[in-house]
Amino acid sequence: MIAVEGLRLDYRTGIRRVRALDGVDLVLRRAATTAIVGESGSGKSSLVTALLRLLPPGASLSGKITVEGRNIMSLSEKELSASYRWTTVSLVLQGAMNAFTPVLTLGRQIAEVLEVHRRLSRTEAMGKAAALLEETGLPRSWTARYPHELSGGQKQRAAIAMALACDPLYLLADEPTTALDVITQAEIVTLLKGLTRWRGLGLVLVTHDLALASAVADRLVVLQAGRVVDEGPTERLLDAPGHGHTTSLLEALKTLEASDHD
Amino acid sequence: MTEIVRLDGVGHLFAGRGGIAPSRALHPLSFSLHESRSLALVGESGSGKTTLLRLILGLEEPTEGTVSLFGADPAAPGEEALRARRRCGYVPQDPFGGLPPTLSVLDAAAEPLLLPGSDIDGALARRQARELLRLCLLEESLWAARAGMSLSGGQRQRVCLARALVTDPDLLLADEPTSMQDSQTRRRLVELLQARSARGKTLLFVTHDLVLARAVTERAVVLLRGRIVEEGPTEDLLSRAIHPYTRALAAALPRLGQPLAAPPPALGPAPPGSCPFVDRCPHRMPACASAPPLRSVAEGRRAACWQEAPQKPTG
Ligand SMILES: Nc1ncnc2c1ncn2[C@@H]1O[C@H](COP(=O)(O)OP(=O)(O)OP(=O)(O)O)[C@@H](O)[C@H]1O
Ligand code: SF4
Ligand SMILES: [Mg+2]
Repeated sequence: MIAVEGLRLDYRTGIRRVRALDGVDLVLRRAATTAIVGESGSGKSSLVTALLRLLPPGASLSGKITVEGRNIMSLSEKELSASYRWTTVSLVLQGAMNAFTPVLTLGRQIAEVLEVHRRLSRTEAMGKAAALLEETGLPRSWTARYPHELSGGQKQRAAIAMALACDPLYLLADEPTTALDVITQAEIVTLLKGLTRWRGLGLVLVTHDLALASAVADRLVVLQAGRVVDEGPTERLLDAPGHGHTTSLLEALKTLEASDHD
Repeated sequence: MTEIVRLDGVGHLFAGRGGIAPSRALHPLSFSLHESRSLALVGESGSGKTTLLRLILGLEEPTEGTVSLFGADPAAPGEEALRARRRCGYVPQDPFGGLPPTLSVLDAAAEPLLLPGSDIDGALARRQARELLRLCLLEESLWAARAGMSLSGGQRQRVCLARALVTDPDLLLADEPTSMQDSQTRRRLVELLQARSARGKTLLFVTHDLVLARAVTERAVVLLRGRIVEEGPTEDLLSRAIHPYTRALAAALPRLGQPLAAPPPALGPAPPGSCPFVDRCPHRMPACASAPPLRSVAEGRRAACWQEAPQKPTG
């Protein structure tokens, strides 16, 4: 279980201070797919990066994050790298943002994560990298490929393979399909759902797309201005939103689905 | 009515480098867009939509055929092409790369008005920029922030839209301009685009979302692997598509509260020269080994499919 209590996050750039998270309380369970939705700028990406304690310089974070009973706020940078990021919680980003280096093969990049965070030998790590690519529907031999040789959807598969490399308990995905077309999106989301269920991990999907969230998540969390304003099982939230903001988001979507150029 | 954009047999090959074979981004295709009209380019990533926009803007020169923009060749050197390009606003697909990193949000929005040769002074440019930022739903508290950093993904995308609209261009070319917006913000931006069209402005809108395309455009062209596979009124492509690929695109759109439909499985790679959908098409037959031509199938509609009796339009 990931338990978040009173999480506050401030960004500071020059004299400007922005409160991106303003007292977030939240519980994320392993057996579930949770979607985090909300307006643009409501703090969705901030919440995900805060959960990994991956923040830009000048940002300050306070509150409590507990993952499987462990206090994450007290971990040092070294401990986070040795036994938290990749191994307990890992992250998949929007296609263009995923940090594949153009100069190394996919195999090398996935293997490196395993060498650093799981202390595997190079040969073991390469073998596991091939198996991971296969698990996400890519040929094993693609360990020898470079990122630019892949389409957007294939790159996202490889990013998922890399995120799963160290057998994390939770997978966080921030807009993983935003840059993709709808058909590829359906493939990637189906893959994410299938793999996380098969491996028994918690999936947290951040998306601006309420329709997509409603199609794949068991639970929805609605953020507004850095706070959780609504939360619950998907069906209940759609049928009986617990907050006016959820209602507005739903109404806007329905208008769009019905709207016609004239 | 005046033709704003016209493509005649435009094809494009990207040159190969260091042993890599040249790759074909577009097979020769033709279409036009008239003044005050709106057209969507719909298709999957890599289908050639962005290349088309870049050709129309003269950022790239086609390897075959001719492009005309406001009657000029947009890639030609000289005043005429420059004037044509200045009548366009462009929202690039990637809001992470599209913004000057050091400018404030306000200055980034005013910048297009202050290009060399413009006769607008800084104060007026900033007044117009403020107006556009408000219309693009960017709160005042963000205006002093650096546009290229310290903004959320959706906020950056809205700054890109404000930059494209600040000159009140006659033609807006927008590449997935609302792909990162929540439903409420998206609805307001759609209204902004609709209001522009109502004023007689022209729109070329790139998206893979047919429902969104219907909200902002009258007609749509569906592209797949660099070929036009279907063309017609956007409403018809959504509700009575002829081409199996267009139907698959409509079926894969997530709908509120409904499970995601499984996409058609890939049956194997499409051989060169075949129908571009042959690897995933549930109706494929031997004839599909060669690419079908784009034919007129009904008033105002074209499709490229060998199917003898394409699914009868219903309703
Ligand atoms: N590096 C940063 N420095 C300063 N402010 C930031 C930074 N990143 C985000 N912000 C601000 O924090 C707030 C929350 O941003 P965040 O990226 O978490 O939103 P989001 O919900 O993910 O939005 P979107 O749907 O547009 O991606 C926004 O007001 C944004 O401008
Ligand atoms: S030409 Fe053949 S493969 Fe292509 S869409 Fe039509 S039926 Fe399917
Ligand atoms: Mg975000």
